[in-house]
Amino acid sequence: MAAGRPGVEALLAVARAEFAQRLPAKMAEVEKLLSDAAWDEARRAAHKLRGSAATYGFPALSTAAAAIEDELLAAGGPPQAAVVARVMDLVRGARADAERAAAEGR
Amino acid sequence: MSDPENTAPGSAEAGSVPPEVPVFPLGEVLGGTYEIKSILGAGGMGEVYDALDRVLNRRVAIKVVRASIAPDYLLREGRALAAIHHPGVVTVHAMGEHKGTGFLVLERVRGLSLDRLLQDRKARGERFAVDEALELLVAVADALSVVHRAGLAHRDVKPGNVMMAPGGRVVLMDFGLVLPHADRPGHRSVAGSLQYMAPEALTGDVAEGAATLLDVYALGVLGYELLAGVLPFEGAQPLDLYRAKTRQPGPRLASHRTDLPASLSDVIGQMMAPEPQERPQGAEAALWQLRSVRTRAAAGGSVRPFSVLIVDDDADMREALSLYVRAAAPDAEIETTGDGTQAVRAVRRRVPDLLLLDLDLPDINGVEVCMLLRGMQLGDGCLIVSVSGRATRADVELLQQLGVRSVEKGPGLMNELVDLVHGIRPTR
Repeated sequence: MAAGRPGVEALLAVARAEFAQRLPAKMAEVEKLLSDAAWDEARRAAHKLRGSAATYGFPALSTAAAAIEDELLAAGGPPQAAVVARVMDLVRGARADAERAAAEGR
Repeated sequence: MSDPENTAPGSAEAGSVPPEVPVFPLGEVLGGTYEIKSILGAGGMGEVYDALDRVLNRRVAIKVVRASIAPDYLLREGRALAAIHHPGVVTVHAMGEHKGTGFLVLERVRGLSLDRLLQDRKARGERFAVDEALELLVAVADALSVVHRAGLAHRDVKPGNVMMAPGGRVVLMDFGLVLPHADRPGHRSVAGSLQYMAPEALTGDVAEGAATLLDVYALGVLGYELLAGVLPFEGAQPLDLYRAKTRQPGPRLASHRTDLPASLSDVIGQMMAPEPQERPQGAEAALWQLRSVRTRAAAGGSVRPFSVLIVDDDADMREALSLYVRAAAPDAEIETTGDGTQAVRAVRRRVPDLLLLDLDLPDINGVEVCMLLRGMQLGDGCLIVSVSGRATRADVELLQQLGVRSVEKGPGLMNELVDLVHGIRPTR
């Protein structure tokens, strides 16, 4: 990816590992925002994670974050209980992924 | 054609021969109003006359096409021109019919065709100065961007269809081949002027919605010719030209002269890319790139450090983007901010060479930032790239209209940005 730029590759590897370490906290934040019924903030947090996780090379997390964002967007306001339950399931799954990624120090 | 004023109708379909008998004799009065005074030019497809509008007492240009030309040719041109109001595009006054022959009444543009100017320079062994060529290219790109915004593609951009009028006005003429750019030009319909035609036009294989990229290609050829003093490709037959135009590497403008900013060679090279998707995606995008080159050239090009402004409300993305820029330009000056208002202020303070802009921002969003910057003409010298996780198609199309490139967040982002920075960064 960064062929011929060893310094940058090393920096990217460090940045990626640090990002992985921050992932569980990011998912916890999404979870808390949902618990507080702060739907728009939760959507924004999921949106950020969607882009950054994809960029840092965590596609499964990005997909999960995208699903959370899409569910909240589709609700078009305060989501119904069933939607919240679905989103919370997604958050928990994504959080487990994030914790695994952080533990592996990837 | 020797007369320098309103040109004759298109070079269009290859193989056509100018007729010997004019469609309208001198002195003929069309529709009781337009008195034919002289022939301004005759081409394979028809003629352009100098005429007097007896009612409004002004000179106009009258355009007619041969009976063999598609009957909707003039109507298409007239309607296209009627949809556009811009000093860089010839104005249509009216359409009419006289003794069964349709005609178009156009603004009489007095001046010199760019083709004539080019030939004169070539004959004297001179070329256009870089700033002179840039001004011309910016003016033509500006006119074309208006055409594209009207949902049209010109499809016959070439020096013969660009007029240099008094007061520095540059006017795009001859809209006979114009098409809605959402249309797919007919399969195997080879129309235009061979040297300026994109490879996909030579094979009649233009993708749906991609006709504006034919104009971008032609603009690139025109730029090459202005700066090099020669056409980029040799050959008289479509097949020879197709081979030449798709050969890689393409012609190197820099091999013709040493005083060219690398960024200008790059933009022209991009415009002439054999693959349409590798060209600036429309005249507006080409225009902003050309303006950026002009601004940098005026500032002395290599004096200023390469500067980048990164706008994203996610600190992780700001860090990733900074690293990617460093990968391509280790000495770049990078400024970051998390909201749109600050971004506009930062550009107002200092216009960066490159602005990487998230679309989903907490205050004013990225599209609004672009509109503000373009509206205030603050970002003229700056390439704006939207970096988004979920841009809609409408967003991307609007951004394209504003001359903004779009890239997606994801694993391919780094390579895309590195290539992009290498493409626009002025030579040190």
